[in-house]
Amino acid sequence: MLKVESLAKSYRNKVIIDDISFTINKGDIVGLVGENGAGKSTLLSILATLKKPTKGNIFLEDKSFDHSKKAIRREIGYVPQDLALWEEFTVEENMIFFEQLSWVNRNKDELRQLCVDMKLEKWKEPVHSLSGGMKRKLNLAISLIHQPNLLLLDEPTVGIDLKSKTEIGNYLHTLAKKQQKMIIYTSHDMEEIRQLCDYVIVIGKDTFYKEILLKSGKPVLSF
Amino acid sequence: MISIIRTRLIHWKKQPFSLLFWLILPILATLAIQYFTSAIQEDSKVPVGIVLEEDTELAMNLYLAIKENPLIRVYDVTEEEARRKVLSHKLDSAFVIEEGYEENVKKGSRNQIITSYKSDLSFAYTPVSQTIISLVQEDTGRSKAAYTVINLDNERSWTWEEIIQTANEIQKEENLLHTTFSYASSEEKKENQIRLWNSWGVWAIFSVLSALMLADWVIKEKRSSIKPRFPFIRFTYKWYYMGNLVPYTVLFLLIDLTAVMLFNLLLSETITSKLLLSMLSFRMMLQMGTFLFAYCFRNLYFYYILSFVLTLFVILISGVIIPMNSSWDVINPLNAFINQEVISGYLMLFTVLLIIWLMKGEKRNA
Ligand SMILES: Nc1ncnc2c1ncn2[C@@H]1O[C@H](COP(=O)(O)OP(=O)(O)OP(=O)(O)O)[C@@H](O)[C@H]1O
Ligand SMILES: [Mg+2]
Repeated sequence: MLKVESLAKSYRNKVIIDDISFTINKGDIVGLVGENGAGKSTLLSILATLKKPTKGNIFLEDKSFDHSKKAIRREIGYVPQDLALWEEFTVEENMIFFEQLSWVNRNKDELRQLCVDMKLEKWKEPVHSLSGGMKRKLNLAISLIHQPNLLLLDEPTVGIDLKSKTEIGNYLHTLAKKQQKMIIYTSHDMEEIRQLCDYVIVIGKDTFYKEILLKSGKPVLSF
Repeated sequence: MISIIRTRLIHWKKQPFSLLFWLILPILATLAIQYFTSAIQEDSKVPVGIVLEEDTELAMNLYLAIKENPLIRVYDVTEEEARRKVLSHKLDSAFVIEEGYEENVKKGSRNQIITSYKSDLSFAYTPVSQTIISLVQEDTGRSKAAYTVINLDNERSWTWEEIIQTANEIQKEENLLHTTFSYASSEEKKENQIRLWNSWGVWAIFSVLSALMLADWVIKEKRSSIKPRFPFIRFTYKWYYMGNLVPYTVLFLLIDLTAVMLFNLLLSETITSKLLLSMLSFRMMLQMGTFLFAYCFRNLYFYYILSFVLTLFVILISGVIIPMNSSWDVINPLNAFINQEVISGYLMLFTVLLIIWLMKGEKRNA
């Protein structure tokens, strides 16, 4: 369970996030939407322990973000908005590189399976020759190597074709429903959000989206 | 640690040639420069014609002594050839050991025992003629001494042979002493004449450049797009850097050992424990220094340019290529190594700076 209490963030005098509270349970997929510059990436980095909130508390299970940052990081799979890959390495080399540096030991077969699961079949090919969709998949796969429970994905499907989008979406769905992961992700694709998410968090200055997700029937969280 | 080394190996596999190039550059450059300069020196021996008009022992000795001089290349010519070749500048100058040389020397007469030919382009005439004159003087001096003895000791009738034999015996004893004493220094002199520059000095300069070039991974890593992933790895990113320094240092040390063996084999540089220790210290100093230097940069090209500038500066103040005032020694990073000292100011400075850097980072990261 991820619990956010009265979270606020401002840079100098500029308020980016103003008093947000919400709770996410295991198996939930939560969409984070808002216009450009609304503070989606900022919120995700705070949840990823990369930025400190100006105000408020965050808890993952019973661990406080203020006191057990190191332990919490092991539980987090963060997918940055910009691709964070070694362009000149192959898929295999990228996976092995980050496996070596991660907290857990996973053998080559497991790493390969991780890629195959999200339909990333290229293995010996250098990243710079991959399609945009493949790169996004690898970007996601690397963040999953250490088997985190909370996934924070910053626009994981930006700029890729429908097929790859669906494949990534299906994979995220499996992760949440079969492995009970918590997933928060941002996207500008409302159709995708509608299909995949259990909840939507809308942030922004004067954005008060009211949307009901028809699929799950759960109400939209709005701030 | 092993896992960081594995990640570094993946990087190395991607560009094995540039890695290899910079690693062996110091060795290759030193060998090339040393062979090149000794070849030039071989070429720059002064061509001198010698005409031997008599084949007495003294004349032959003089001829051999001239031939042994490392700066002179002797051509055996007739007087006619000598004149022609000096005129056409094929020979710098020519010297005729005239008939009656031994006789004149024995008499202590220094009149016209040698005739020389030179032209207006005989640049090396003065030093060559001075060298030959001093060789002749050795003989005439000895003879003069002998004659002095004969003159002083008129009661006893010494033959010239007796006297010269005694003189030679004394000379031999002296020579023996002289040879044992001068063995080391003359050997060194010979080395200096063949090798214009200290091999290890040249190697050290290129090692500075290669260490700087191979430290560019620090900047590449810092600028890389994977940076957002660093909070989610097992290591703090400062320790990740330190971990990467290990395989580089090990690789460098292996190549350094290769250099020691190659220079011993090809340049007859001696291997001493002092050399090995000062080399280890020099390498540690370079590794820490280049790391700290590279860490200050964000722009790779700016770093490359400044690295070359820094290397040029080191060349200038090190005195390896251009002799320098020793007041620069204090800031010369090669000084300790060239003098085979194990502890250097730079080593200590960089160690302290690195520790400060590590501690500062740990606090912020905690
Ligand atoms: N370090 C910072 N200092 C000051 N302002 C910042 C800083 N980082 C981000 N901001 C501001 O915070 C606001 C939110 O940025 P953020 O990147 O979170 O938006 P976003 O919702 O992710 O936008 P996008 O949809 O374009 O990705 C922006 O107006 C941005 O200019
Ligand atoms: Mg963003």
